[in-house]
Amino acid sequence: MPSLLLFVVLLSIITSLISTLGAPAINQLLWSLYTRLPTPLHNLVQKNAVLRREVFQLRTQLSGISAQDDFAKWAKIRRVLDKKNAELEASQTQLTTLRSAFDSRAGILRWFITTGLRMFIQFWFSKQPMFWLPQGAVPSYAEWVLSFPRAPRGSVSIQVWGFATGQMVSLLFAIIEQVYGSFFNAAAAPPVEEPMKMAAAPVTPAKEVKKGQ
Amino acid sequence: MSEVAHIDVDLDPLEPSLQPILDQKSLRWIFVGGKGGVGKTTTSCSLAIQLSKVRESVLLISTDPAHNLSDAFNQKFGKEARKVDGFDNLSAMEIDPTGSIQELLESGDANSAGNPLGGMMQDIAFSIPGVDEAMSFAEVLKQVKSLSYSVIVFDTAPTGHTLRFLQFPTVLEKALGKISQLSGRFGPMLNGILGAQGAPQIDEMMSKLESMREVIAEVSKQFKDAELTTFVCVCIAEFLSLYETERMIQELNSYHIDTHSIVVNQLLFPKKDNECPQCNARRKMQKKYLEQIEELYEDFNVVKCPLLVEEIRGPEKLKQFSEMLITPYQPPEGN
Repeated sequence: MPSLLLFVVLLSIITSLISTLGAPAINQLLWSLYTRLPTPLHNLVQKNAVLRREVFQLRTQLSGISAQDDFAKWAKIRRVLDKKNAELEASQTQLTTLRSAFDSRAGILRWFITTGLRMFIQFWFSKQPMFWLPQGAVPSYAEWVLSFPRAPRGSVSIQVWGFATGQMVSLLFAIIEQVYGSFFNAAAAPPVEEPMKMAAAPVTPAKEVKKGQ
Repeated sequence: MSEVAHIDVDLDPLEPSLQPILDQKSLRWIFVGGKGGVGKTTTSCSLAIQLSKVRESVLLISTDPAHNLSDAFNQKFGKEARKVDGFDNLSAMEIDPTGSIQELLESGDANSAGNPLGGMMQDIAFSIPGVDEAMSFAEVLKQVKSLSYSVIVFDTAPTGHTLRFLQFPTVLEKALGKISQLSGRFGPMLNGILGAQGAPQIDEMMSKLESMREVIAEVSKQFKDAELTTFVCVCIAEFLSLYETERMIQELNSYHIDTHSIVVNQLLFPKKDNECPQCNARRKMQKKYLEQIEELYEDFNVVKCPLLVEEIRGPEKLKQFSEMLITPYQPPEGN
């Protein structure tokens, strides 16, 4: 089935993408999306941001006052700051626990989407031939390997197809990374120094000799 | 200065006197504390003297290993409460931590561990910081059980340990709670292992710990009750003392220990035509900080005590000084 072929390819691409981007980045992205939803968590995150801003403001205010000259004002601000600090810490710990719980759940979800789905598909369509090889294209033992677990002889099984696409995709990704990396390095590297003037001198007579010829 | 103008017509500044403490009959525990040299002992002795006029019996305890109560009253005090000369319901006690520990170790090790071990224990016990607080706390426990004085005034040591000592009940309570919980679970097993030899000792220890835990819980509750306990902060009108006082008040708030009185000592009231540059400069500085104190501690009783021309030692001078805690001091005309 053409759609199944494409599906397997897509799955391999997604899996490779996820592993390239890295788990933390994905988790961060999911977290920021999740906190945009209007849940109590959203309010918590907003409250945290507000508290942080307040603490920062109070701190700058405090550093602008001299404790010696305006002790009363300084002490009052300090009291408010201490209280806000305590609130901020409590809110932070709450958020951290929620975040780690979310991360573990996101990890499980990721696993289900990639490995879990792959295993399921491979199991469900294990007897399904992906596509039929032209007769006689490969020797019989190769035919057996290509149809390995349970697909009919002469076809390619989903496991083999998944393996092949997986290899292709990871190779592709490696190439893209290399190109990207070298491109970046070239852009970031300092420009090559001009060859020293002294080196230019001996070249000229050889050139002249060449020209003369 | 402030964005919103407060016009609190009916909220006059609280009276600058410790009369409210005298009036609050339910108070049982009064702590007097503040960082070194500000006049803690003088204030605590004066407060005790004033209290003895309006209470049935007053006990003054010093937790400072430096024996300052004896110096203040010109009389020797010890670890047993002794009546102060010239008063019939005021007693004073100076807890000597080294002596108490020695006693404890001697009584404990008499029956069990060998002598060499006992000697080492003594050295270790003396070097543990905070041991004086633990000893004074043990004294507090005894007082709670005996209920023989109507009010107890503590002259606390000038180090930062003071507040740790006040926190001691909570920490100890938690620790003892855990221990009794554990022993409840493992006690029978341990008894089985140790056999009849270990059983009675462990049970005895457990019951002692349990009763101690109850007393400590009671003490902890009493310290957090504003009707029963209060803390008087003593300071001078200088930046560091003020900073320390503010820190102490915030810490007391975090432990839920009530504090609503401040005594500012050693204030100068020089005459207008005074020519001493040091006095005038100091007066200016003190005035600045006094204003800050008044602004910051609006809901406190702030008592202002002057710097006297002579040392305050001996019961007579202390009695004179104690009047200033109750009736606000009026400086002579000219400042």
